[in-house]
Amino acid sequence: MNNKSLKILSVGFLISILVALSAFPTGDALSSGITGSTTSTVEANGCSCHGPEVTTSVSIELTLPENFTAGGTYTLTLNISGGPNDGVRGENYGGFFVTATHGILEPLENDTSVQKPFDKTHLTHTTEGNDYRGWNFSWTAPDRDDVIVTFTAYGNSVNGDGGASNADRWNSGSFDLMGVNAVAISDKHVELTTPQKMIYAFTILAVTLGVVVIGNRMVTNEQAFEEVLRDAWKAIYPWLTTTDHKYIGLLYISTGFIFLFIAGFLALLLRVQLFEADNDFMTDQEYNSTFTMHGTTMIFMAAMPIIFGFANYLVPLQIGARDLAFPRLNALSYWLLPTGGLLIYAGYFTGGAGDVGWTGYAPYSSGDTATKPGTDFWVAGQIMLGASSTLTAINFLTTILRMRAPGVTFMKMPLYTWSMFITVFLLLLSIPVFTVALILLMADRTFGTLYFDISAGGDAVLWQHLFWYFGHPEVYILILPAFGILSEVTSTFSRRPIFGYTSMVYAMASIGIISFVVYGHHMFTSGADPFFRFAVMLTTMLVGVPTGIKIFNWLATMTGGSIVTKTPMLFALGTILTFTIGGITGVILAMLPLDIALHDTYFVIGHLHYVAVGGVLFAFLAGVYYWYPKMIGKMLSEKLGLLHFTLSFISFNVAFYPMHHVGLAGMPRRYASYDSSLTELNQLISIGAFVFGIAQIILVYNLIYSFKYGEEAGDNPWDGWSLEWATSSPPPHNSFKEIPTLKLAEEAE
Amino acid sequence: MSMINDLIYFETPALWEDFGGTSGGYGGLVWQVFIWSLIVGLIVFVWMAYNLIYFRHKEGDPEHKDSLKAGVFPHERGDAKIELAWTIAPLILAIWLTFISLAPLDYLWDIPEEDDVDIVIEVTAVQWQWTFDFPNDYEVPEDFTKCGELNEAGVRQQNEITTYDCLELPHDSMVRFNINSNDVLHAFYIPEIGVKHDAVPNIETLVWIDTGQVDPGEYNLYCAEYCGESHSRMLANIYITEA
Ligand code: HEM
Ligand SMILES: [Cu+2]
Ligand SMILES: [Cu+2]
Repeated sequence: MNNKSLKILSVGFLISILVALSAFPTGDALSSGITGSTTSTVEANGCSCHGPEVTTSVSIELTLPENFTAGGTYTLTLNISGGPNDGVRGENYGGFFVTATHGILEPLENDTSVQKPFDKTHLTHTTEGNDYRGWNFSWTAPDRDDVIVTFTAYGNSVNGDGGASNADRWNSGSFDLMGVNAVAISDKHVELTTPQKMIYAFTILAVTLGVVVIGNRMVTNEQAFEEVLRDAWKAIYPWLTTTDHKYIGLLYISTGFIFLFIAGFLALLLRVQLFEADNDFMTDQEYNSTFTMHGTTMIFMAAMPIIFGFANYLVPLQIGARDLAFPRLNALSYWLLPTGGLLIYAGYFTGGAGDVGWTGYAPYSSGDTATKPGTDFWVAGQIMLGASSTLTAINFLTTILRMRAPGVTFMKMPLYTWSMFITVFLLLLSIPVFTVALILLMADRTFGTLYFDISAGGDAVLWQHLFWYFGHPEVYILILPAFGILSEVTSTFSRRPIFGYTSMVYAMASIGIISFVVYGHHMFTSGADPFFRFAVMLTTMLVGVPTGIKIFNWLATMTGGSIVTKTPMLFALGTILTFTIGGITGVILAMLPLDIALHDTYFVIGHLHYVAVGGVLFAFLAGVYYWYPKMIGKMLSEKLGLLHFTLSFISFNVAFYPMHHVGLAGMPRRYASYDSSLTELNQLISIGAFVFGIAQIILVYNLIYSFKYGEEAGDNPWDGWSLEWATSSPPPHNSFKEIPTLKLAEEAE
Repeated sequence: MSMINDLIYFETPALWEDFGGTSGGYGGLVWQVFIWSLIVGLIVFVWMAYNLIYFRHKEGDPEHKDSLKAGVFPHERGDAKIELAWTIAPLILAIWLTFISLAPLDYLWDIPEEDDVDIVIEVTAVQWQWTFDFPNDYEVPEDFTKCGELNEAGVRQQNEITTYDCLELPHDSMVRFNINSNDVLHAFYIPEIGVKHDAVPNIETLVWIDTGQVDPGEYNLYCAEYCGESHSRMLANIYITEA
């Protein structure tokens, strides 16, 4: 990089720093001292409620002894000078806050001007001490004298109006005190946070496992280390270089499920934190990062990849094509996924992963209080995932439009392919908007632009419009493929054609169209235009109509059929029930006056999990049981499947149904603590969540067990009609030996 | 209350109940939605149970004549009249539910002018604190001490005009909140009174309540819009006191 661009870069940095400073948050300061929840504000931002910045016009002096001996007690004096009304004493003149890295701070006996707030380790002024500009207190040294102790003090020079105001001035100072045996280089350990510890533990576990597996190979096969590696490479190489839709499909599905388990693990951490009303299992910041990573991973790295994985595998088979239209582009789309995912997770190693929620609302995300650089990693990774989805959407649209086999006209496509066709259409129209918003956000965060900067007059609601324009179609991008699977499975296992094929297609298409004009229902309590909010209540209600049609059509398909209750069908039936509940709560939320009370509470969390887990995940589990025989050539164990379904279905409802009650009782979402009257319900939820998590291990076991010992599947184990059942299991290299022709029932007779 | 009770009893904000069971009020709205939810849910559950009882596959059942064959697009199945019926019925329900939402919405959104209310309170949200400012000429009743400072003897003093994370309001008065934020989005949320509105930087948002609609007592105020690290600790106490 040459000098000139370096200069420009540093100017850019300077600008962004200035912008960041101007957006510096304002907290609070209390005439009664810094206690309770204010503590963390001051620790993070200083006395920001009294004016935005540190001023050098206030100086802070902490009088310390020369050094200290272990266990000794010392009296320290803190003085502030400068700032408004520079005097020594007066009504509401000053305040302070002091912490020490070692030892114990205590007020002097009988001193009413200094207090140590309950349950805290710092000292601060009392209401009375607020009339002084100097305070004395005692400090007891730790029982070692080879450390350097750092005192951090904030001093506030207040103008005497009794409130926090921008006329107040404050500053902070850091003072080191050496133990008599301390060496000048401090040996302060950096404490690892809980998630960091866990990630290190997992890394160590993975490395150990690798060593054991390789060692085992070396011993049992008497191979040299290089040979083991070469064999492993030979096994991996085809997967790294494949452009075959079936291989990429399997890659997508397994990546999706791996992320599903990671995000599920994060969810269980959240539920551990919420097991008690005021738990300190995680810090607030860790909790925030954890729900952010949970949501982001579930939506973008688990649900979407699983959807694309199934689509990759099945859409070409169902329309009788040999592959997607652009196989190399398909490989690129896939490889952007683990790359973007790793980038987002890398945030954990920078002291805190992104903490902006999966919705990433600006101006919080564009401001300076979001984790840095964790949030930058989140933004950058999301841009990569957005690019991946856009490319995939183009690929599928082209494939479905151009590559259908003879006989597969539009109104003869299987409903699963129809659902993917509408899905990728929505995706292509919506996700670029989100990606562009993310690029603007990245510019704000790193290059000092002002798109979302409220102090430059930015519109604080702009992000919500950009996000939900994508975000609402996104939830239909998730549910439509699930509808597709439900249609296939209910029809196959009722041994009859789907009831109302045509109305199913029109219902999906109209859901697709309506979903672009309803996104405002996520902004019912925002500052957006009231007419806009009223209008989207109407349109949101209308989405319920095609959704209802689909549910009734599935039920009508079963009526008059001959229902076979194998595991795929069990999951499909369960999905219809839970999705119905999710749809009903969706309509409740769409009623504007009710949403005003329920928005951003656990009621919404209940709703969205009934559709996202009870709707999307359950449908895709039905898909796993339904198509695993096609993909692998072996049947999954029915016994394990039944156990998996029963445990999952019951524990899912135990975990998520009470969330509606918790929400109605007023518990807001994204809270790391709650009112202790809700402890019982929250504990029930946590227990349900753990059982649900453990139940999924049955699935993993079943997948591995049946891979080895499962029965041979044959071409068409479930008697389905669509073209994937007309080829072998698993399909041959080019999917079809000969491009098939879809016949009509009328001709076939 | 026992857990079972918790699970079957949907608690509604106090305000909704006090509105009475008319369809114009919240209480009526909640009640109607509950009934309709139950009806729709029951239709699906009962129909599915019926299917599972009467249309289970039994060994040796003859194949239906339109049963599926691989590689053959099946016969169309359907009935235009029935399909039309279950298009129109939900449509009517959706329109009805929208319609009955209008009156409560009108009540909520019909924010009284500043001159028409008893008290106007400037609410300022910052990370992570609520500041409440009464008008300068507001006389704080002497026995309002819930949010006052402690004196040396540990006794609460009369409230100031400006209070932090704490607000004491007289019963039976119309109160309007002018809500502002100085940094990021927050939301002003009192669950038991059923009001919520985002605090948006650069835009003043409005909420009003009639404290006569609820019992005197202590209410919780939550920040309901995620605002960063201490979001879950951005709470305040609202006291409604018999003046
Ligand atoms: C019958 C169809 C549906 C209706 C009427 C509906 C309605 C709503 C409404 C009104 C909200 C906003 C609630 C609030 O934030 O206060 C919401 C939130 C949400 N919905 Fe749905 N929904 C439906 C289906 C779905 C589906 C199929 C999914 C996903 C698979 C989904 C996922 C979500 C998510 C993730 C949120 C939370 C968004 C947030 O973070 O604020 N919904 N839904
Ligand atoms: Cu939506
Ligand atoms: Cu908040």
